[in-house]
Amino acid sequence: MKGKRKLISILTAMLVLASMAGTALAQERVTITYSMWGDNEEVRVLQETIDKFEKEQDKIHVEIVQIDRADYVGTLNTRAAGNNLPDTGIMAEDAVLMWAEQGMLADVSKMYGEGEAKPLDSLAFTFDGKPVGYSVANEVLVLYYDREAFAQAGVTPPPAGADGAWDWDTFVDVAKQMTLDVNGNNAKSPSFDPNNISRYGVMLCPDFWQLEVWSVSNGGSWYDENGKVTIGEPEAMEALQRIADLYLVHHVAPQYGTNTSTTLDQDFVNKSTAMYVNGQWSIGVWLGAAKASDGLDWGVGVLPYMKEKVTLNTGGVNVAFATSKNPEAAMEWLKWYAKEENAWGLIQSGIWMPVLSSYYTDEALTRKWVENPNFPPYDEYKSAVVDYALNNARPTSWYWVNNTNLFNDALSSILAPAWSGNVSVADAIQNNLEQLNAANQGY
Amino acid sequence: MGKASIKRSKLARYEARLAKIYLIPAFLGLTFLTYLPLLSVFALSLFKWTAIMPKPLFIGLGNYIRLFSKDMFFWTSLKVTIQYAVLTVVLSIAYSMSMALLLNRKIPARGFFRAMFYVPYIIPAMAVYMSWGLLYNKDFGVFNALLAQFGFARIAFLVDSKYIIPSLAVIAVWTSGNLIVIFQAGLGSVPRVYYEAAEIDGANFWMRFIHITLPIMSPIIFYNLLMSLIANMQVVVPSLIYAGSNRTTYPEYTFMSFLMYRSGFINNEFSYASAISFVFFALIGAFTLVLFSTSRSWLFYEGGDK
Repeated sequence: MKGKRKLISILTAMLVLASMAGTALAQERVTITYSMWGDNEEVRVLQETIDKFEKEQDKIHVEIVQIDRADYVGTLNTRAAGNNLPDTGIMAEDAVLMWAEQGMLADVSKMYGEGEAKPLDSLAFTFDGKPVGYSVANEVLVLYYDREAFAQAGVTPPPAGADGAWDWDTFVDVAKQMTLDVNGNNAKSPSFDPNNISRYGVMLCPDFWQLEVWSVSNGGSWYDENGKVTIGEPEAMEALQRIADLYLVHHVAPQYGTNTSTTLDQDFVNKSTAMYVNGQWSIGVWLGAAKASDGLDWGVGVLPYMKEKVTLNTGGVNVAFATSKNPEAAMEWLKWYAKEENAWGLIQSGIWMPVLSSYYTDEALTRKWVENPNFPPYDEYKSAVVDYALNNARPTSWYWVNNTNLFNDALSSILAPAWSGNVSVADAIQNNLEQLNAANQGY
Repeated sequence: MGKASIKRSKLARYEARLAKIYLIPAFLGLTFLTYLPLLSVFALSLFKWTAIMPKPLFIGLGNYIRLFSKDMFFWTSLKVTIQYAVLTVVLSIAYSMSMALLLNRKIPARGFFRAMFYVPYIIPAMAVYMSWGLLYNKDFGVFNALLAQFGFARIAFLVDSKYIIPSLAVIAVWTSGNLIVIFQAGLGSVPRVYYEAAEIDGANFWMRFIHITLPIMSPIIFYNLLMSLIANMQVVVPSLIYAGSNRTTYPEYTFMSFLMYRSGFINNEFSYASAISFVFFALIGAFTLVLFSTSRSWLFYEGGDK
C-alpha cells in the first residue's frame, strides 16, 4: 500500500515536471500579435500564411487579432489608450501619419538592409523623412465596363492602355451614348428623358478620397509636396466641377454620393451602369466572383484624362507598433509577410497587386500573377493595370500628408451642395478655404 | 400603546437597515458605471488627448471654444439633430397612437395585425436602412417609379437636403412598433364604464377620445414622448449606413452622436469627443427638463395626485 502511494507521488511529480518542460519548450517561441480587418475567409487565408511562416522558422509565433473594418482604427485607439496594442498590424492609410506623428509607429527603415529587394518607393509612407510603413499591396484606380453593353451599342469600349486614353470630351461623349432612358433613347438623342434613366453611362465609387485623381489629372492637386492645401487653385476645382457636371449638365452619371454602395458588380448585373470607376481590388472582391456566378462579361480600361494621364495608387499599410516588446520579431514577421509569394492567395484572387517592381517588369512574373481565373485577358490587364500602375500612378496624398481624414470630412461636407448644383464647386471651396486649412492643420 | 410604538420603530429601524444593504449593489453600480465615468468624461473634455498621445495636455475650455466657435459641423449638427428628433417624436407618437386605437378595436385577425406592426421594430437596423435605401433610390426605387408614373420629377430622398430629414423620419416612424405596444397596454386599462357613460350622454368618437382616452392615457403618452425623444436625439444608425466615414457626408447626416463617434473613434480625438458628448448630454437634459416642467399642466393622474 505504502509502495503504491509512493509510486503515485513519483508519477505525479514526473507529470508535473514534464508539463513544465513542455511549457518551457513552447515558450522559446516569441508570441507576437498581428491585427487585421477582413472576414473569416481572409482570416483563414492569413492563418495558412502564418502556418507556413511558423514552419519556416522556430522563433516566432504569430496570433491574429481580427477587428471589424468599420471599427478598426477606433478599436486600435481604444487599445492604445489601454496600453494593449498588438505588436504589428495592418493600418488604414489615412491614419498612418497621425500615428507616426505621435510616435506610435516603429521606424522601419532598418527593416531592409542594403541591396535587399524592397517594395516600390512610391509605396512607402514617410514621416519626417523616414519610412514608417510600406503598403502591403499596390492598388490603382481604373475604369471598368460592361463589355456586352458596349458591344450591343456598337460603341468602342474604354481603351486598355494609357497611350489611347480618352480625353475628357471623348469620355463624356461615350458616356452619353451609353446612357439610356426608359424608352431606350441615349443621352445624345433629342428625345432623351433625363428624368427617367434606366442605365447610366458611368458611376463613380463613393469612396471620397478617389476624387483627388481628377484634380491631379487636370494638372492640379489637393496639396503641394509640403502638405499645404492647394485645392483652391483653378485646375483642382475645375476638375471637380466636371465631375459634378456629369450629373448636372450631361446626365450621364447619378449625382455624386447618391450611390452609397461600392458593389459595382451588382450595378453591372442590374444594368444600371455601363462604366464604373473604382480600384483594382474590385476584381478580387467582386468582379471575379460575378463573372463566375452571373456570367458578367466585364472589361478593364484606363481612366480618361483631362490634361495628364494619371491614376492614383494606394494600399493598406503594415506597421510595427512602437509599444511592441518584441520589435525584432515584429519586423521579421512583417518583412516575411511582405514577400509576394507569402501573400500569394490575395494576389492570385485579384484583391492585391504585388508591391515589388519585378512583377511589373518581368513578363514571367507578370504572367504568373495575371494568368489566373479572376482576371480579364492578359493583354488587356497588362496594359490597363500593370503598365498603367508602373508608369502613370501617383501616390494618394495620405502617403505624405497628415490629417487627410479631417480634410476629407470637411471637403465632402463643403462640396455636398455643389453636387446637387446649388453652388459651384469653386464657390463652395473658395468660401471655405479657411476651414479646409484648419482641417489640414488638425484644428 | 407605548410598547407597540417601540416595537414598530425597532422594526422600522431594522427595515431601514435592510433597505440600505439592498441598495448597496445599485449604489455601487451607479457610482462606478455611471457617475464616475460621467465625471471623467467631463474631466477629459478639458484636455487635448488623442488616445495615442503619450500624455494628455490641459487646455481648459479649449475644446468647448473650438466646438462653439470654430467647428464647421457643430451648429448644423445641433440643428439637424433637433429637427430630426422633434419631427420623429411627433410623427411616431401620432402614428403609434392611431395604430393602437385601430388595433384596439374588435377587428378580424387582430393578433396578426398587432404582430405585423411590431415586426419592423425587431428587424435589424442594417436590414431596415438598406431596404429603405433601395425604396428611396432616385433612379430605380419604388417611390420614384410611382412619382415618374404620375409625371412628377424624381426626388433624391436621401441626398437632397430638403428631403433627407423627413425621409429618415419616415423610417423611424415605421420602426416605432414598441410605442404601439405600450399604447395598447394603456388603452386596455381605460375603464369601459367611462365610455359607456359617455355614450349614454351622446358623446361621439372624438369627444370620447378627447375627454376620456387622452386624459387617462396622458401618463403613458408622457412616458412614450420622453423615451422616444431621448432615443431619437441619439440617432446615429442612418449616418453610419448612408454616410459612413470615407463617404460623401451630406450635412443633414451629421447628427450629434455621429459627430461624437467620428471625432472619437475615427479621428482619434477622444477629448474633443468628450466635450461634444457633454454638450450633447446637456442638450438632452434641457429637452427632458422642458418636457417635465410642462407636463404638470397636461398630465392627468386618475388618483388625483399630480
